[in-house]
Amino acid sequence: MPSLRRAALLALALAAGVAAVLAARVATAPQGPSASPGTVAVSLGRVLATFDLSEAFPPDLQRQFGNGLTNVVALHVSLVPEKGDAPAAIYGRTIEVLYDVWKEAYRVTVKDPEHPAGQQLSLTSWKELRAYLAEAKDVNLAPASLLGGGTWVAVARVEVNPVSEELLERTRELIANPRAGAGSDGGSPSVLGAMARFLLRGGQPGPGVHFFRSKPFRAEDGPVR
Amino acid sequence: MPSRFELKIALALVLAVVVPLLAALWLAARLTEENLAFGLNPRVIDSLESTPALYGDLFHARKELYAEQARAIAEGLPADRSRGNRYLETALRRTPRLRRIAWLDAAGAPIAEAEADWSNPEGEWREAPARATLPSGEVLECVFAIEARFFADLDEVRELAETYQSAGLLRADIQRSYVRAFGLVLVAFALLAAAAGTLLARRTTRRVSDLVRAVRELARGNLSVRVEPGRARDEVAGLARAFNDMVREVRKGRDRIVYLEKISGWQEVARRLAHEIKNPLTPILLAFQQLEARFRASPGGDPDLTRLFAETGEIVREEIGTLQRLVEEFSGFAKLPEVRPEPSDLGLFVEEYLRTSPQVEEAADVELVRAGGECPVALDRALMRRVLANLLTNAEEAARPGRARIHLGVSRTGDRAVLTVGDEGPGVDSDVRGRVFDPYFTTRRDGTGLGLAIVKKIVLQHGGEIEVGGRPGGGALFTLAFPLAGRAPV
Repeated sequence: MPSLRRAALLALALAAGVAAVLAARVATAPQGPSASPGTVAVSLGRVLATFDLSEAFPPDLQRQFGNGLTNVVALHVSLVPEKGDAPAAIYGRTIEVLYDVWKEAYRVTVKDPEHPAGQQLSLTSWKELRAYLAEAKDVNLAPASLLGGGTWVAVARVEVNPVSEELLERTRELIANPRAGAGSDGGSPSVLGAMARFLLRGGQPGPGVHFFRSKPFRAEDGPVR
Repeated sequence: MPSRFELKIALALVLAVVVPLLAALWLAARLTEENLAFGLNPRVIDSLESTPALYGDLFHARKELYAEQARAIAEGLPADRSRGNRYLETALRRTPRLRRIAWLDAAGAPIAEAEADWSNPEGEWREAPARATLPSGEVLECVFAIEARFFADLDEVRELAETYQSAGLLRADIQRSYVRAFGLVLVAFALLAAAAGTLLARRTTRRVSDLVRAVRELARGNLSVRVEPGRARDEVAGLARAFNDMVREVRKGRDRIVYLEKISGWQEVARRLAHEIKNPLTPILLAFQQLEARFRASPGGDPDLTRLFAETGEIVREEIGTLQRLVEEFSGFAKLPEVRPEPSDLGLFVEEYLRTSPQVEEAADVELVRAGGECPVALDRALMRRVLANLLTNAEEAARPGRARIHLGVSRTGDRAVLTVGDEGPGVDSDVRGRVFDPYFTTRRDGTGLGLAIVKKIVLQHGGEIEVGGRPGGGALFTLAFPLAGRAPV
């Protein structure tokens, strides 16, 4: 029966498509939480979290961070109920690292709630930089009153060179006007590129995403390791 | 609500557009992938990413060079400090890119200094310090020039590398966005094509739907149905015209059959009337003749009675004569023979009729015009003579009391041989034209209303048609059309 055969082929193609999509999702899924637990403490009525993030910055990253291009580290620490996904509080920090090949030093710009305009640092070696990046100390998460009587977990998410909104916008500009490069006369915008720019969405998190979790804690537990 | 046919046409158009669209989309995806692979070649991106490091190597080499040059100058410092300025000025002139130099003692106090007062031959520059420490603790501080364009170029390359790096990271997303953009453009084109195609197809499908409706009407017996073929010259318009022709022929056939059936009925009535009238008429006439003979033979009659007898006898004979003529006409109408056609030429037949019928020329001025060459037809010459006789008599009577002028025409039109008989009489009113061929319908006091009925029956039995209209210039015009020989009558 031609119609049955056609339906079977269609179903097969559909199943293959679904399998391909699922496989792609599995391939790009973020890695699981790290084995290194974080610590949580309550001080002066605030919940403070500290994480050792060195697993996210292995020594072989030196080459990448010293390549003379801007590298971005996005750190997000959230306070989530032990049994639940919705965070009660989120802390965000963005660290831009640029190795100055003339001064032979790392120029670091940190943006976080304490320094919304950005704090400038200059670190002279990879060792110093790695130590700086690997430590998220006393991250001010939330008022202790938020904890109530529940059990909570602090989760840190570290991503190296995420597809930021700025990167996305820069890429959109590139595809909308590919001939407008540095030193060119500006070129003329591409119609298809303009449409593609409009349709360009951020990608999935890459393999450079690391998660760190604290042990579950309660307000009355005191400092938790 | 679009018809199913219209929907099928639209669906076919959409399918016809979608299939190449899918192929174009697949091609666009491949093309985008290949273009991105070419434009975002990892080797190119790697090279771009490694460029700042190359600048780092360049800067490092310059620093090494400048440090070496500073050490060389320091080694040549004179023991006599008073000659320091001159030595430094000479070193400043001899050492490329050296812009400023200072000889400091162990405490940092200057011993001698020199500074270039000429512009840097390599354009804008930035300071590159170099320092050499002497065993005595004295220090030689040099400031070299390094081209400012290196830093501008480095910034530009870094920006470009970062842009391509981000584009490389988003390569799959960029490809998807291009494919989506292609898809949107192609879908828009497909929709436009489908809309335009549907609009164009709708003109045809609606005409086909009209035809379907008309065929259904025809099947229900409506022979007045007609389809507007429009101005197009395509097959659908041809079909509509053919349909209209078919309906017209069917209608004519039906009218012919109905008329012949009606005539047959009237012939039967005429036959019976003739019989019923004729049977008593002869005894009445014989009885009256006997009565008249006896009355004349009887002597000495009453003069008044004699005069009355003569007058009434005249009336009786006249009315009996009228009845006899009526009976003859009824009989003639009732006993119309079957048509026995034989090959003839319509023009020659009419000419022959006029030549062999001198009474026509005596009663009227007749003009015959033949056009279009031969008109071969199958005619029953005897019956067709009767047709001509009736029509010409009709024309003569229409012209009374004047002399009739009769215009005969023979021509061929398409697949028909046409005979026209026109007069210059008062014509036939348009409101009675539909009834003039009905039996016993007449507008004259002495007419029987059978002449034109006989004409029409004979014409129809020849497979022809007859119609009456107005003659240009006044008068009636009868048009008789016969199928040309060799063509089957419809």
